[in-house]
This record gives sequence, structure tokens and C-alpha cells, in this order.
Amino acid sequence: MSDLPPPDVFAAPSASSVVTAPLVLEGMIAVNQASKFFGSVVAVSDVSFAINGGVTALLGPNGAGKSTLFRMMCGLTPPSRGSITVLGADPRTDRVVRGRIALVPQQDALFDHLTALEFVTVAAESQGMGSPGEVAEHALGQVALTDTGDKRVGEFSKGMRQRVKVATALVNDPEVLILDEPLTGLDPVQRRRMIELFHRLGDDGRCVLVSSHVLDEVARLGSRVLVIAQGRLIAQGDYHDLRGLMDDRPHRIRLGVSDPRRFATALVDRGLVSALSLDADHVVIDTVDIDAVGRQLAPLAVELGIRLTEVNPLDDDLESVFRYLVEGR
Amino acid sequence: MTAVDGTPRPAQTRSVPWTRALAITYRVVLRELATRGRIIALSVLAFLSTLAGFAVGTSDSATLDDGVRLIAGLGLAGVVPVVALVFGGASIGDLRDDKTLVYLWLRPMDRSPMAFGAALAALTLATPITMIPLVAAALLTGVGGGIVGATALASAVGLIAYVAVFTMLGTWLKRYIVWGLAYILIWEGFIAQAGAGVARFALRKYTRSIMVAVTDVDLDLADFSLGVGIGVPLITAVAALAVATWRLAKQDID
Repeated sequence: MSDLPPPDVFAAPSASSVVTAPLVLEGMIAVNQASKFFGSVVAVSDVSFAINGGVTALLGPNGAGKSTLFRMMCGLTPPSRGSITVLGADPRTDRVVRGRIALVPQQDALFDHLTALEFVTVAAESQGMGSPGEVAEHALGQVALTDTGDKRVGEFSKGMRQRVKVATALVNDPEVLILDEPLTGLDPVQRRRMIELFHRLGDDGRCVLVSSHVLDEVARLGSRVLVIAQGRLIAQGDYHDLRGLMDDRPHRIRLGVSDPRRFATALVDRGLVSALSLDADHVVIDTVDIDAVGRQLAPLAVELGIRLTEVNPLDDDLESVFRYLVEGR
Repeated sequence: MTAVDGTPRPAQTRSVPWTRALAITYRVVLRELATRGRIIALSVLAFLSTLAGFAVGTSDSATLDDGVRLIAGLGLAGVVPVVALVFGGASIGDLRDDKTLVYLWLRPMDRSPMAFGAALAALTLATPITMIPLVAAALLTGVGGGIVGATALASAVGLIAYVAVFTMLGTWLKRYIVWGLAYILIWEGFIAQAGAGVARFALRKYTRSIMVAVTDVDLDLADFSLGVGIGVPLITAVAALAVATWRLAKQDID
């Protein structure tokens, strides 16, 4: 069987883990060879990992399978194959364990006719909490949303709705928090406060799993990262390893210059590029030494008397990192 | 591990009692269903039956037979099932479609109080909107002969059954309105008229039977006793909510 978790550190796509026997992973969240099919569409394919207390980021582009994985972890949909346990139980069938989990779903839907306090109070009541009104007020305080009065959540901004959802997730004092793109729509101040809140919860021993498709967000969320693409877990480990991998991979940059041919020749002479192409106004270069290129471009243009009008990285996004991890290109 | 506010806490084993889960679902669904547009549109529809009752009542030659046919043909065949469809189908169907069902589903609550609470909320709104105009229509016909009591009983039984069946439909199908209208118009309105055997599977036959049993007016395909006319729809309602409960437990939630 070749169905085990990816290596614990980031590795180049060519690296492989040799598996000799099935392994059942254990943790506050344990995902063992889980797959999910919707007809002929494979949303999640043979994913295994286990996580415990602290903040873990689940990183992946849109459509990678993050939300489906989260839905399975909460019991909202069963895995087609494999198993998922949360706190040692199946959340789809175990009513009690659902009371120990909190989910912030990605979708924007709320009960729009309710005020924030009413909405969060309903959440507290439905979690079986005593004094649900007080619990709700406290949870709203955690996300700095105490003064919204009689305004209904249907009239809230995207960021306020997002904070209401997070408050709802806090009412049951959960041991496991599953947060699907919780920072979407928040302003920078709220984003920082929310990340601090997640860290407080994680430092307290709770298992906080946060998804994002924005690399810089992940940098601030925590050092542990799971990377998912095309429904597969392609890497897991430390964020800094991912960052290093991103810096070490080949980069493609488009340069706008007044004399592309002469500038390209100079770049090749200095060994700064591994490949290039030209058109009337641009040079597109591939380089593995992005720092050296960054340092030498402007001095080189001055030295040659060439006007440099554009420096545009063509692949400095998460998609290209995933492409590199998955396909090696 | 400590609580969010820093106080130590033990591992949790919370779950929500059945009656509390019922009350929570009832309150939430009631608020979601009670939109102004929905209530006005359905009230206007139901009020048409009151106008028709008034029209019958103003006629010098109006008989009990005319009154019962009006209530059975317009009220029990149209107003009751349509109002029940809109509220019953939306009670869980709308939460599922707009993806807010997750906020109830992902709680330590049984599924049965969710189904029953949603149906109860739909019934709470459907009952006054349906029964007040229909009973008023029966009164305005001025034909006596127990038509008012028969209308109230048949409408109440019909509402309970239709709301439960359409609540189940809402847990199952995205286009519950289309399927519900197909049931009302095609199955009950057309196919079930073909014979007594098929008519057994139409709720309308039972509500018409109640009208006949109480008023002694002769209606086609309405030959059940009062007990059967009341009992079968109520059993159907419980069965429909049991299926809705099962469906809630098994379905994928967005």
C-alpha cells in the first residue's frame, strides 16, 4: 500500500516516502486514508494525517478539497473511504463529540433575521450551555462585537458576519476548532486580533485547524502547515520549510527594457538566468537565484544605459508553489 | 485545558434534551419562515375562499351541498395543501438550500426534534392563514348542517398531514415546491381521481371523507369513516416526520 501520510518535512516533489505497512494515526483529529467522491469527481484522495493541540494551518488553493475535508471532520458528510475521528469518536454519529467541536464554515450564510446576540445565543442554547445569553455576550466580546444592538446580522458587513461566525464557534468552549477561511473579509486590525485569538486557543491546548489559500496568512497563523492540492495532501511540516521551498524553486520574471536583446545577453553572461525568451519590449527570464537577480538588475541596466520599465514576477503566487510541489514545474 | 475565559474545565459531555432541541428549532425556523411577502401572498390566496363563501351565501338557492363542494374543491384541494407546501417545504428546505442548516445540525441534538420543531413552526404559521379564512368561508355560506365544524376539523387534519409530508419533502429535494405542486395538481388533482384504489394514496380523499362524514353530503371518492379520515392522515404525518428525521441524520450537509 502506498497510502500513508506525506513526509513530516517539506520535500521536493520527487522525494517519496516508502511505506511498508498500514498505519493508523491517532490524535485529537485523526484522518486515516480518507477519500471523498462526488460521483466521478474525487474531492479528497487518500489523505492521512493526525494533529493535536495548537494551531495548524491547512493551506491549499481554491477547490483543493479543504472544505470537503473540514466537512468530513465535522461529520457533515461521511468519507467515501477511510476514516476520520475527532477526539476519538466519529463526529457524524456521536452526538456528544459534536458538542466538543466548533466549525466556522466558509459559506456566508447566517440566520439573517436575528441580531448578533440572538444568533450567538441560539448557538449557545443549541450547544446545551447554561446561561446562554451570558455565554453569547462573552463570545461576542472575544471578537470585539458587543455593541451591535438591534441590528440584524443580515445588515452586517462581510467582516462582521465573519466575526459572528467565530463567536458562534466559541460558545461551547470547544476542544477542537475547525475554521474554514475565517479571516476572509476582515480588516487588518481584526485579522491581527483574530490570529491572536487563535494562538491563545491553541496555546491552551485546543486543536485549532485553520484553512487558508493565502500564504502570508499562513505565515502568521502558525508554524505547522498541511498543504493540500487536487484533493491530495502533498506535504506537511513547518511553515519555514515551505517558505524556503518557495524561495529555492525556479522563478519566472518579466522585465520591460528598452533593449531586450542586449540586456538578455548581459544577464546570460553573468549567469543569472537558466532560460529566457524575448519579444520587442520584454525579456522573460527563469532564475533559481531570485536574490541575485533582484540585487543586480538595476545596476546592470544603469551600466548598459538601458531603461528598465517593468519587473513583474509571473509565478510569485501560491498556485505556482502548489504546481511545483505537485508537478515539479 | 482551560475555558476560553481562563477557568479550568473538565471534558465536556453535553447534549441537548429533546424538548429543548424542539423549542430551539421551532423558534429559529419560525423566525426564518415568517417573511412578510410569504404571509401576505398566502393570506390573499386563502382569502379568495372567504370571498367565494360569501358569494355562495348571497345566493338565494345556496344549499349545504354547494357549501361543502366549495370548501372541498377550493379550500381542501387548493388552499390547505398549497399553504402547507410553502411553509412545510421551506421549514427545513430553505435552511438546507441557504446553508444555514449547519448551525442546527452540528449541535449535540437529536434529529427528531429538529424535524418535529420545523414542522411545528410551519404549522404555527399555516394554521391561522388557512383556517381563519376557510372557517369564515364556511360561516358565510350560511348553509348550516355542520359545515363549519367539518371545515375546521378537515382543515386541521389536512394541515397536519400536508405540513409533515412537505417538511419531509424539503429535507429531501431541492425543488420541493415543484414536486409538491406536482403532487397536489397532478397526483391528487388528476391521477387520484381515476379510482378508489389510487385515491387511497391521496390525502385529499381523507379530508373530503371528514367533510362527508360530518355533513352527510355526497362527494366522489370520499367514502371513508370519520375515524379513518382523521387517523390515516395523522399516522401519515408521524411517518413522514420519522422519514424526515432519518433523512436529516443521513444526508450530507453543506
